[in-house]
Amino acid sequence: MREVYVAGIGITSFTRLEYPLVEIAAYPGLMALRDSGLKKIDQLYVANMGSGRVNGQTGLASAVVDHLSLTPAGAVTIENGPASGASAIKEGFMAVASGMHDVVMVIGAERMREVNQLEATDFVATLTHPLAEYIYGVTLPSLAGMFARLYMEKYGVTSRHLAMVAVKNHHNAMDNFYAHLHEEITLEGILDSPEASTNNPYVADPLRFYDMCPVSDGGACLILVSADVMKKLNKPMIRLAGIGQATDTHAVHERKDPTYLFAVREAAKKSFAMAGVKPEDVDVAELHDAFTILEIAESEEVGFFKKGEGHIALEKGETKIGGKIPINPSGGLKAKGHPVGATGVGQAHEIVLQLRGEAKKRQVKNAKIGFTCNFGGFGNNVVCLTFIKEK
Amino acid sequence: MELNIYAYKCKRCGHIHYPYKTICKNCGENDHNEFDIVPLPKKGKLLTYTTLYNPPSDYEVPTLALGIVELEGGHRITGQLNIKNPKIGMNVEGKVEVVRKEAYNKHLGMVFYQA
Repeated sequence: MREVYVAGIGITSFTRLEYPLVEIAAYPGLMALRDSGLKKIDQLYVANMGSGRVNGQTGLASAVVDHLSLTPAGAVTIENGPASGASAIKEGFMAVASGMHDVVMVIGAERMREVNQLEATDFVATLTHPLAEYIYGVTLPSLAGMFARLYMEKYGVTSRHLAMVAVKNHHNAMDNFYAHLHEEITLEGILDSPEASTNNPYVADPLRFYDMCPVSDGGACLILVSADVMKKLNKPMIRLAGIGQATDTHAVHERKDPTYLFAVREAAKKSFAMAGVKPEDVDVAELHDAFTILEIAESEEVGFFKKGEGHIALEKGETKIGGKIPINPSGGLKAKGHPVGATGVGQAHEIVLQLRGEAKKRQVKNAKIGFTCNFGGFGNNVVCLTFIKEK
Repeated sequence: MELNIYAYKCKRCGHIHYPYKTICKNCGENDHNEFDIVPLPKKGKLLTYTTLYNPPSDYEVPTLALGIVELEGGHRITGQLNIKNPKIGMNVEGKVEVVRKEAYNKHLGMVFYQA
């Protein structure tokens, strides 16, 4: 396999965007072309989950490649639930590593705010098992609520720990221009004060409003190239060194221990093995905190902390910027936002910024190895990426 | 007639699947006709639960309680709860009722009550 580098990156704000989905996809592509200095690509992958259902548009990649005037490059749309983004990066990696293409653009884009909150939640809920989950009214927040309750019972995680994840990630997002929520929150405001039950009502108990990610529009882009192309560009040598993907049962109730995220564990293990690094070598990570409980659970499953000890590390501040392993310096899905199909590419965008040393106020010092976990379904399809800064 | 939720028992190894799979998860039996249809037990213990305060728009109720139940025999099922104060580990018993109404369609599923 050939080595694969990140030559250019681009992103839109993750928020409510008032322009069409094709443009949400195209602008980060334009930014990434400018960033890399490249003018042509061999292949485009567009990660998106809901254009057919939410926006009434199919064949998205064909529209985007034309919008960017990059025809006749190949173009493919990739739908893999909320893990679409990192799945598209995996396809892009394989296209370059195999020697088939030298320059591959990977875009993630989603426009969810075209519909209201309930419809957006229902659209995402269609990824649950149609007969064993969906017909009961199961949504992603309800799966997270059931997961959180069992986790709290088993490992001693409390609502305070969950709120601490939200406070940390909202704080990180304050320094991220592209984040959806620029709103500093406190434990008092969302948990302790008499107003907390109004500020932060239950959504799927024990999870409350501030345990959930917002519904966002947004796009992000990475341009992946071969070593030969990369050397001519005079950019920081950020190598996509490891990719791991794993799956788990479709219905959550079928898992032996529903507090284990087996696919996260497997995907992380494969990604680290491919990159030749260990979890303790990682300097900065973006984990898929669509719900606060997931940041804690994933930090254990990927190997940063022992099972059942993620909340203790959080208490000690080890996951803050400046801590032992900063998690979600971008604000995470919680505060940066979660445009489902774009999220995996957005996570990779943040890690590349961090490894280049371009993350400004939220920069993790001397970050050389970065990691992302993009979590699809309720943990039934997970893609983990490891990036290494060379030289 | 008593309504049931059915599971799929592999004819070769006896492993019970709910929901249905084309290939047996336990022995890899790959002839998809080789399953017996067996009713799932209705009694069990509540493994975990949640109350949803913004149910999907098909539901005209303010809240919707959902849970995962470990049934007698060890199989698990996701279902709705009709229980005042649910607690992890409590004994529950299921009834097959309408769990979702769409414009021209009604879906049957398991609703659990305190046993």
